[in-house]
Amino acid sequence: MLLIDLTVNGLIIGLFYALMAIGLSLIFGILRIVNFAHGEFYMIGAYAYTLIALFFGISPWLTLPCAFIAGMALGWATERLLMRPLYSGYASWGVMKDEYAVIITFALSLLLINLVDKVIGPNGYRGPSLVATTRVEIGPFMASGHRLMAAGIALLVLIAVGLFVRYSYWGRQIQAVAQNRLGASLAGIDTAKASSIVFALSGGLAALAGALLSPIINATPDVGAFPAVKSYVIVVLGGMGSIPGAAVASLILGVLESFGAVYISYGYRDTFGLVILILVLLFRPHGLFGERSREV
Amino acid sequence: MAVIFNDTRMRDRIQLVFSLGIFALVALLPAIVRNEYWQGVLIVSMYFAMLAAAWNLLAGYTGQFSLAPAAFGMIGAYVTGLLSYHFNAPPLVGIPAAVVVAAAIGFGLGRIVLRLRGPYLALTTLSFAEICRLVISNSIEITRGDLGLNVPGIFDHRLTWYYVMLGVLVVIQLGLYFLLRAPAGLYLRAIRDDEIAAASRGVKIVLWKTNAFTLSAAISGLAGALYGHFAQFVSPELGLLSQTGIIVSMVVIGGLTTLPGPIGGAFLVYVASEFLRDFGGYQLIVFALLVIIFARFFREGLWGFFRRAIERPGRRPAPAPSAAE
Amino acid sequence: MACLSIDSVSKFFGGLKALDDVTFSVNEGELVGLIGPNGSGKTTLLNILSGYLSADSGDVVLDGRPITGLRPEALARRGVLRMFQLTRVFPRMSVLDNLLVTGSALGLPEAEADRRARKLIEDLTLTRMMHLDAGELSGGQRKLLEFGSCFMVPPRIALLDEPFAAVHPTMKEIMAAIIRRRHAAGQTFLLVSHDMPVIVELCPRAICMNAGAVIADEKTRAVLTDPVVIEAYLGEAAV
Repeated sequence: MLLIDLTVNGLIIGLFYALMAIGLSLIFGILRIVNFAHGEFYMIGAYAYTLIALFFGISPWLTLPCAFIAGMALGWATERLLMRPLYSGYASWGVMKDEYAVIITFALSLLLINLVDKVIGPNGYRGPSLVATTRVEIGPFMASGHRLMAAGIALLVLIAVGLFVRYSYWGRQIQAVAQNRLGASLAGIDTAKASSIVFALSGGLAALAGALLSPIINATPDVGAFPAVKSYVIVVLGGMGSIPGAAVASLILGVLESFGAVYISYGYRDTFGLVILILVLLFRPHGLFGERSREV
Repeated sequence: MAVIFNDTRMRDRIQLVFSLGIFALVALLPAIVRNEYWQGVLIVSMYFAMLAAAWNLLAGYTGQFSLAPAAFGMIGAYVTGLLSYHFNAPPLVGIPAAVVVAAAIGFGLGRIVLRLRGPYLALTTLSFAEICRLVISNSIEITRGDLGLNVPGIFDHRLTWYYVMLGVLVVIQLGLYFLLRAPAGLYLRAIRDDEIAAASRGVKIVLWKTNAFTLSAAISGLAGALYGHFAQFVSPELGLLSQTGIIVSMVVIGGLTTLPGPIGGAFLVYVASEFLRDFGGYQLIVFALLVIIFARFFREGLWGFFRRAIERPGRRPAPAPSAAE
Repeated sequence: MACLSIDSVSKFFGGLKALDDVTFSVNEGELVGLIGPNGSGKTTLLNILSGYLSADSGDVVLDGRPITGLRPEALARRGVLRMFQLTRVFPRMSVLDNLLVTGSALGLPEAEADRRARKLIEDLTLTRMMHLDAGELSGGQRKLLEFGSCFMVPPRIALLDEPFAAVHPTMKEIMAAIIRRRHAAGQTFLLVSHDMPVIVELCPRAICMNAGAVIADEKTRAVLTDPVVIEAYLGEAAV
C-alpha cells in the first residue's frame, strides 16, 4: 500500500536526517552556534567511504568505520583550530561570537567544498552497497537491501549515542556544559575537551550519514549542501540543543518530504524545508521542544 | 609625537581619505591597463565593491550578519532584466525600479528578521536567499531559468562603463561616510554593540535595523542592475551562496567595520581571483582560507595592518591611575 | 505630585510569582531607595518599568499617562532612563560616542549633545578616556559611564539598579555626589541597592521588597529597623 510505503520510507530517511541533526543539536547545546560546515562533514564521510573502498578494494563494512573516523577527525580539528575564540575570551570578536562562528564555519564550508572539487574532482562517485540484495520485501513494503541495512545501522548508532549522552561519564559532562558552561568549568569539568568531543561526535555522525547514503546519493563536492539545510531545519524545528526534539523532528521531516514529493511537487521539494525553517524561526524560534531564552 | 587616531571623527576621516585614495588609484589605472578584458575585471570588482560595502553596512556596522547579499544583487539584476525582456523597458526605468524593488524586499526581510540574531538570522537569510534563487531558477516561463536573460547594454565604450561604475561607487561610499558620521551611524553601531542597552538609551531599534536592511538591499539592487546592463546577461548564478561567500571574504579580508575595507578587499580579491584563474582556479580555496585566517587571527583585516603601521608608538595617553580607577 | 505610579503590578514566570501585587508611587523630586534580599523582584520590577518585561496584571503610570506595554526606547524618550545590574555599555564605541548616542536619540542637537557629553565626562573624571573604546575601560569606569548615560538628558525618573555594586569607594563617591546634586535640583530617582550606608545617606524614603511583594514603605530609618525587613534579610532568628 502506497501510504505504508511512503511512511516507512519517510521514517527511514528520517533516521539518516537524525544522524545529521543530532550532532548539530549537540554543538548548539554546548557552544550556542550553528556549524555552517556541517554539510561538509557529510561530504567527507561520503568520499571516505566511497574512495577507500574503490581504491583499496576493501569491503564497505570496513570503510564505513573509516568514514566515521574521518568525520570525527575533521570535527575535532575544526573545534581545536577554529572554535577556541568562542569561549576563551578572545577580545577582538568580543560580543560578536555568534557572528564569528557564522563567518568562520561558512568559510570552512567553502574551503572544503572547493578543496575537494579541485583535489578529487567534480565528478560524483557512487558508494558501494553494504548488502548485495537489491530488493527486499517485508509484507507490503519494499526497499533495497542496502537501504534497510543502512537504516538499521543508523538506528543502532542513534541509540548508542543516546545512551552515551545520557549515561556515560563524558556524556554527562557534556550535558552539564550544555546547561551551564561556567558552572561546569567551576565544577572541574574540562569544557574545552567537552566541546572537542561534541564536535568530533557531530562530525562522525554526519560522515556516517554521508557514507550510508552514498549508494543512493552520489558523493560530489557539494553533496553536503542539502542535508545540511535539512539538519538546520530539523534542529530549529526540534529546538536547538534538544536531542529528543531533533530526533522527533527528523522523523517528521522525513515523512513530510516523502509525502510532499509525491503529492505536492517534486521540483520544489527542497524548498519545503527552507520555508518551514523560516516559519519556525519567525513564530516559534525555540522550536517544538526547545527552551525560551530570557533576555535581560 | 603626532597622534593620528585620537578620536573617532579623525579615524573615520582617515578611512574616507584612504577610500578616496583607492578610488583615485583605480581612476588612473586605465592609463596603464589598456586591455579591455582587465578593464572588465576591474568593472566587475566595482560591482562587488558595492555589494561588499552594502553588506558591511548591515553586518559590520549594524551587526546583522545576513547571508543574502548576493541574492539582492541578483534581484536587482533580474528586475531590470525582466522589465527589459518582457516590456522593453529602457535602463532608465529598469535601474531605478531595481533599486526600489530590492529596497522593498530588503525592508520586508528586515522586518521579518528583527527579533533574530547570530545563527538564527544567518539561517533565515540563507534560506531566503536560496528560496529566491530556486524560484528564479524554476520559473522558466518568466525568467528562462538557468538559461539566463539577455539584457541590453547602455554604453558602447567599456571605459564609459568604467567611470560610470566608479562614479556610482564613489557616491555610495561618500553617502555611507556621511551616514556613519551622522547620529544614524551612532545608532547603528549601538545596535550592533548592545541592542538591549541601545533601546534603554532611546535608540529606535526597529526603525534603524530596518533602515540598515533597506539601504543595504537598495545598494545591492543598484549594483546588480548596473552589472546586468554591463554584462548584458543575468542568470540565477548571481545569487549562489558561493557569491555571498566571495562578498563576505572581501569584507573580512579588507577589514570588517571599516570604510575602505570592503572596497580594497573587493578589488584585491577579485583581481587576484582572476590571476589565480590562470593558475588553475584555486581562488575560492585561497580566499576561504584567508577568511578563516583573518577571522581567527586578524579581525581587522588588511586595514588593521595599515592602521598599526601608521599609528605611532605612545599614541594614546595611558589611562592614569586616577580617582576613576 | 506623583511622577511614577505603580498599581497592583504582578508578574509570573511559569508557576513562580515574581511580583505580587506591587503598589507604590514615587513623587516628583523624590529620591527613593529600593531594597530587599536577592530574588525579591527588584530587578524584575525595574524591567517592567523600563519596558523589557510586561506585567501580567496591574498598571504603571508616568506623569498621569499609562506606560504599560511601551517599548524601552519609547519609555526612554518619555524620560524613563535606567542602569542595568550587569553593566551595559557599547564596548566598541568611544566613551564620548557612548554618551552621544543617548543625547542624539533623545533629541539633542549634535552640538549641544557634544557639549553636555564632554561636561559629563569631566564630572565623571573620565576625561582621559574620552576617546577610548568603552570596552577598554575597567569595570568601575564602565559603571560610571553607564551611570552618566542616564543624565545626558535629565530623565523624568532615573532607575538605578545597584550602581554601587562592586565599585571602588572613590567612584561610589563620584556617583553619590552627582546623585545628591541632581536630587537637590529636583531630579527623581528610584535607587536599587544593597549598600545600606549609602541608602541611609541619600534616600529619605525606602521601600523594601521580599518574595515579590512590598513589605515596607516608609522613612528609611524606620524601614531599616522594621522587624519584617530584618526578618526578610536575615531570617527569623535575627529578629
